[in-house]
Amino acid sequence: MTALLTIALLLYLASIFYAVLTFAGSEHPAKKLHWLSLLIGAGLLAHTFSILLNWIYLEHFPIVNIKEICSLIAWAIAGYCLSAVPRHKARALPVILSTIAFILTLLSLLWPEQQTSETVINLITASTFTRVIFPLHVTMLVLSYAAFVVTLAAGIMYLIQERELKAKRFGTAFKWLPALNTCDEIGYRSLTIGFVSLTLGMVTGMMWGKQHDGRFWHNDPKEVMALVTWIVYLGIMHYRLTAGWRGRRVAWLAIGGFVAVLMTFIGARAMGGYHVFG
Amino acid sequence: MSLFLIGINHRTAPVEVREQLAFTEAELPAALQAMTTREAVQECLIISTCNRVEIIAEASDPGYLHDLIYKLKDVQPHQIQSHLFQHADLEAIKHTFRVASSLDSMIVGEPQILGQVKDAFKIAQDAGTVGHSLTRLMNRAFAVAKKVRNETGIAANAVSISYVAVELARKVFDSLEGTTIMLLGAGEMAELAAKHLITNGAKKLLIANRTYENAVNLANEMNGEAVRFEDLDQRLAEADIVLSSTGASHYLITPNQVEKAISARRNRPMFLIDIAVPRNIDPAISELDNAFVFDIDDLEAVASANLQEREREALRAEEIISAEAERFAATMNEGNLNHVIGVFRREIHQLTLEELERSRKKLGDLTPEQEEALQLMLNGIVNKFTHPIIRQMRDSEDGHSAYLEAFRELYHRDN
Repeated sequence: MTALLTIALLLYLASIFYAVLTFAGSEHPAKKLHWLSLLIGAGLLAHTFSILLNWIYLEHFPIVNIKEICSLIAWAIAGYCLSAVPRHKARALPVILSTIAFILTLLSLLWPEQQTSETVINLITASTFTRVIFPLHVTMLVLSYAAFVVTLAAGIMYLIQERELKAKRFGTAFKWLPALNTCDEIGYRSLTIGFVSLTLGMVTGMMWGKQHDGRFWHNDPKEVMALVTWIVYLGIMHYRLTAGWRGRRVAWLAIGGFVAVLMTFIGARAMGGYHVFG
Repeated sequence: MSLFLIGINHRTAPVEVREQLAFTEAELPAALQAMTTREAVQECLIISTCNRVEIIAEASDPGYLHDLIYKLKDVQPHQIQSHLFQHADLEAIKHTFRVASSLDSMIVGEPQILGQVKDAFKIAQDAGTVGHSLTRLMNRAFAVAKKVRNETGIAANAVSISYVAVELARKVFDSLEGTTIMLLGAGEMAELAAKHLITNGAKKLLIANRTYENAVNLANEMNGEAVRFEDLDQRLAEADIVLSSTGASHYLITPNQVEKAISARRNRPMFLIDIAVPRNIDPAISELDNAFVFDIDDLEAVASANLQEREREALRAEEIISAEAERFAATMNEGNLNHVIGVFRREIHQLTLEELERSRKKLGDLTPEQEEALQLMLNGIVNKFTHPIIRQMRDSEDGHSAYLEAFRELYHRDN
């Protein structure tokens, strides 16, 4: 499993180099993109097998510690990256995403092994229902995190490109980064995917809670923060659709939304609660 | 036979002279055939565009080509002689490569020339006036042009104001597909920019002018829609791209107008280009969200930066071309050298055989052993005799043909 993950890591690294060279060296990178797809795709395949083998080996869905969470988020981001490559307008996006996938995979490999507590294992393997609902719950949330990373990246790209245009500086950033409309489009698309996944992740979580102790809601810090995140993104979606908010304002809101994501992901963990993992 | 290139171009002659020598496409086949009727010219190709007339030929006597040009175009030699340039061999190869790679163009890196050279080659092929040598040369030239394009940035960035406008608009809208342009006033540069935007996918063109008639006329000409100046405020929101070049002495478009327009557009961005001096679009608009304003100085700054970039890249391109031309010349010489050596050996061997035949009678019947010994002796003499000469030929860079010529002259031989 570690070997497979290491292979994935190296392939992601190769993708970064290849993407940088492709975008730096050519005005028409479109022709070379299938190689990039191949590299990321191969990495993703190795990564998928590593997760599946781990699942079979551990006999529960492998996402109960930092090591496994990093790996799964990296996997989701790599998947997103692969889907973004053929839309070559995105230009710098594959570079950013493959870098994030690389870093998270590296983190997962380097993070020390830790024993998963029995209670957690029991909780997620209690019944057929939990065996199904747990992977769904976490996968949806991990997908939403990955999508929000893309939204964040798109927002930052937008803000930088906008600044370059307004300042009339036509340097490297101007050439490398996508057009404003493209950033906006990437942001909106990922936001939609992220929002839907987040909603599904929260719903499956509630179903699990209901089955576990009869309550949908536990006032757990993670639940609260997730709700806050959900409301922030709902707000962005709402104003985008009704008032046509876009561009700079939405880019900043996406950054704000991501802070909420981080609070949910890391902050809530620090505040305790029964969401001991993730 | 050597490779010659005789030509006239935008560097050596003004248009009045160039047009006297230009060939129309219809004239080319006959001209090409006229040039290759005599043995002095074996292969021939003519590139005739508005910036150049160049004749590339595999010929033994370039003077004959000159005479033919004067005759075909009915001009007096003294009128154009000083404008003509002539290159041979390596220089001719290099020049051909430079032309095909667009390094010799008025605007370095412009893409049309390669197509024009390809057309010229096709016409000569159809006329049957290109053979092995020129086909090799031209195919190499096309490959070199492709290499230069791929490996250097000579054609990478826009160097004219109107293209710069397109390039910048692309960084806002990505694709111009389906965008709407509003043209204010009727400046030539703004019109040109509008045309480029339309070629790149812009869908609709609105034309506003103080004098409504002018707007209508231009709208008819450019397939756009005329807009009354009084309606500007309402129609502004439709425009993704505004191009302005009126003679007005004040700002025609104010932040207030654009703010309203953007709000009506539900924050879709607006891209405003002001080519007028004095300016027509208030630069303060730039401070609004989703509005991007560029004036003539901004565009010129980009164009000149791009041009400098191109010139730097052109230096790299020249290096590629020099190296490629030398390599090509070397393989051409190599082919020639081996050919020359072969001819030389055969000729000498032939001489010895002729002498042997003359002595046959006196020698009488020979045993097979004697016959073989005799043949070996003759071969030995030929090798001893030619060896130092061949070595000299191989050692001399490109002077081997001189040895062959000397040999032919001394022994009155011609093949």
